[in-house]
Amino acid sequence: MPPIIRFNQVSVTAHEKTILSDISFALFVGEKAALCGKSGSGKSSVLRTLLGLHPLKSGTVYFQEQPLTPESIQIIRSCTAYIGQEPILGAESVREALLLPFQFKAHRGHRPTQAQLLEVLQRLQLPEDILSRDSSRISGGEKQRIALARGLLLGKKLYLLDEVTSALDAESKQVVFDVFSDPQLTVLSVAHDPEWMDRCGSVYELEAGRLTQVRRHGNS
Amino acid sequence: METLDIKLPQMALLYGLCLLPWLLLWLIGLRLSRDIGVGILRMSVQLALVGIYLKTLFDLNNPWLNGLWILVMLLVADLSILRRAGLKARYFVLSTFIAIASSILLSTAYLVILVIQPTHFYDARYIVPLAGMILGNCLQGNVIALERFYSALRKNENEYTTFLMLGATRWEAARPYFREAVKAAINPTIAGMATMGLVSLPGMMTGQILGGSEPWLAVKYQIAIMICIFTSSTVASIINLKLNLAIAFNAFDVLRDEVIKKP
Repeated sequence: MPPIIRFNQVSVTAHEKTILSDISFALFVGEKAALCGKSGSGKSSVLRTLLGLHPLKSGTVYFQEQPLTPESIQIIRSCTAYIGQEPILGAESVREALLLPFQFKAHRGHRPTQAQLLEVLQRLQLPEDILSRDSSRISGGEKQRIALARGLLLGKKLYLLDEVTSALDAESKQVVFDVFSDPQLTVLSVAHDPEWMDRCGSVYELEAGRLTQVRRHGNS
Repeated sequence: METLDIKLPQMALLYGLCLLPWLLLWLIGLRLSRDIGVGILRMSVQLALVGIYLKTLFDLNNPWLNGLWILVMLLVADLSILRRAGLKARYFVLSTFIAIASSILLSTAYLVILVIQPTHFYDARYIVPLAGMILGNCLQGNVIALERFYSALRKNENEYTTFLMLGATRWEAARPYFREAVKAAINPTIAGMATMGLVSLPGMMTGQILGGSEPWLAVKYQIAIMICIFTSSTVASIINLKLNLAIAFNAFDVLRDEVIKKP
């Protein structure tokens, strides 16, 4: 089976500074991988590059073996969920935030039912009444789980997680692990948390924009 | 009814009034002599020049010359909008020109040809001051629209990106900032219409009354100009921002840094 993501000798510069140089790796469906390294080593840039937020200087990024181009970026973005440390919900209430993407043309007509909303909340161990809460009044960890819930509602298959476990308590972390135990879901994460990295099949270490080490665990 | 002329000695007397604010500013320790001098001098010279070419324009009343004059005003406004909004002219000179030219031509032509109906539609006495006034206000609106759009987009960069990641098109993701910018651009005009005549007498109306017009006539012209200003500001800022959406982003919907001047 071909990889879902493949970086082939990718270099990226931003404001005349090299942020990624000669990065090559591949990620297969269902794989859980982590990127680690010091801050500024380019971990988040890998995720942002895949989402078309940094123009490539050289090399090619493939998504499902299709090169990343202005034409394919919509497909990549529609299959991918990006969840950061403090996800932006982009709406007044949590319910509106969960339904926000369904206003866009790409997802119009796939609006989830109330039952589907409740089911996904339960899966992430979020209380039902969170739906009516104000987006500005929920914690960072809850925001991350809501962003994750939004990804699940959209049926996303690839999750790019940027320091997601940092704001989660042990229980919530377990919930997130359980969600990603689904072999259909592929995860590329930026992580410092040893517990998270232990659960990832492969760990890529970055230093100054270069891939310096790859560790593979047996469980993937 | 002729307006009374201000003769040369009286003009000198008029400048003398500036001595009072100048003295007061000096007494409270504000040393603004240079700025005041430059301001008064520039005003006088620029208006004298306007007087000369308006006189020529009115005397000749040639449709091509009038058209050329409007074209020059549009170009000056175009560059002034971009400079004040902090955008690089090389990328936006055409888009802003299209936005302001189409909206000014639309509202001025509507007003002059359909509403006022002078013998010659190109009559300098009508099109030059009307187009100028509409353009002046349209310029303000476009500066606010562009400035607000880019500042909102940069302030909410993460939100914009989040919308893109959730499947929004560029237009869908930028729409909140687009709306905010248009609203900021036209709000002063709407508020101005709502308080018109209560807070101050509008400039054009005052001018017409001084020029000997009946108050009723002056009122009708003031309403006409306000409606045209409102229309052209709205149309121009929407067209301008729509064109900006096509120009200022790369193929991956990311804002191109190079289009904005470094502060």
